[in-house]
Amino acid sequence: MSGLVLLFLVAPLLGLFFSTSLPNLFQAAADVQVQQSIGLTLGVSALTTLIAAVFALPLAYLMARKDFRGKALLQGLIDIPIVLPHSAAGIAVLGCIARDSALGRLADLFGLNLVGSPFAIGVAMAFVSIPFLINSARDGFQAVPLRLEQAALTLGASPFRVFRQISLPLAKPSVLSGLVLMFARGMSEFGAVVIVAYYPMTTPVLIFDRFNSFGLGYARPVAVLFVIISVLVFIGLRLMGRTGKKNNDVIL
Amino acid sequence: MMLSCKEVEYSVGRFRLRPFSLELEKGEYCALLGPSGSGKTVILELIAGLRRVHKGRIMIEGKDYTREPPQKRPVGILFQDYALFPHMNVYDNIAYALKISGMTKPDIFRTIQASVHELDIVHLLDRFPDTLSGGEKQRVALTRTLMTHPSVLLLDEPLSALDAGLRDASAALLKKLSSDGLTVLHVTHDPKEVELLAHRSVTIDP
Repeated sequence: MSGLVLLFLVAPLLGLFFSTSLPNLFQAAADVQVQQSIGLTLGVSALTTLIAAVFALPLAYLMARKDFRGKALLQGLIDIPIVLPHSAAGIAVLGCIARDSALGRLADLFGLNLVGSPFAIGVAMAFVSIPFLINSARDGFQAVPLRLEQAALTLGASPFRVFRQISLPLAKPSVLSGLVLMFARGMSEFGAVVIVAYYPMTTPVLIFDRFNSFGLGYARPVAVLFVIISVLVFIGLRLMGRTGKKNNDVIL
Repeated sequence: MMLSCKEVEYSVGRFRLRPFSLELEKGEYCALLGPSGSGKTVILELIAGLRRVHKGRIMIEGKDYTREPPQKRPVGILFQDYALFPHMNVYDNIAYALKISGMTKPDIFRTIQASVHELDIVHLLDRFPDTLSGGEKQRVALTRTLMTHPSVLLLDEPLSALDAGLRDASAALLKKLSSDGLTVLHVTHDPKEVELLAHRSVTIDP
């Protein structure tokens, strides 16, 4: 049974690879539009993840440590993007950044149109992927013994110092895992991104565009290239996380 | 009066602490006795500021600390599980409070060197907490707490996790701290510890 599940996961990917010739793959890799879209996708997703972390980590800590009225409701709100159809998430984000929205009008004052910008792509990516970071970090903070934070307080540390020097380092494996998940989820997002920004094209949108305009043969090499890059980035980040975890294991 | 708890009240969930009062003179060693669940540890946490007092007052050296956060109280606490920071070696654990106080690195080094000889942990400075024995952990945690020069030292069952040999050594160390003039409140459920160490004892009813 387990073998069948593995086959189900691996077969489409193997099919994708075996039906793409090396010359086609190199041609796709040399295509400037493909290179630009990959750069845009990875860059915006990474930047979005880093910016989101500044806001998401304190929220995750709050969810792990504090009991307050409406906490269950807040957790439900955090999880909403996970259960929303991504096209609906895109429509929701579009409503917030379109020219007739408050944010859109503000940007308009400076001659900017948010729709169809890297900003829009980042917002769409963050909207669908931020729950992965918050939930993973929350679990990490929850696993840090409260006693250690209390000990630091009695030694004279401010709550912010306790967060920075005790809670965050001890929750590091979960926080890193959350960052990787958010980054990976953001860069692979299609449904929400295509609604807020068809151009500039992220790679998932480019793959869809090539398939729609020219057919499977043109879309496949780009898809293979993006899968390879995604897997390499994912493995790299996981290895980094594992190294961090190993170091932590040694000292824990 | 070094420590004065006046009609302190606290409740959480189904637990309710009866109005609690205690006065400790400077240098006094007081044992807090009581069965499990009577709220002995809760009293230490209230004095340390880790829980918020519902009613009553906590005064230390004549100053009202009832509403002060833990980091502002002149109180050191030795937790039952020692609560050493697992991602820091022994040196960094001990240096933690000194760094917060803004002491320079050379001064921190000198201060630690002076203390670790006294508490016989000089050979442990590079080790991480998970490689230490129970007795070593306790000495490190005690050294770390003493770095803040607390007016009152709170001990939560400090001898209960140690085997007989270590227990005697640890008791001798606590006795020495007390004879050096430190005010100590020692939570225990063992009357032998009271007899061995304390000037007097207070019993908490469940």
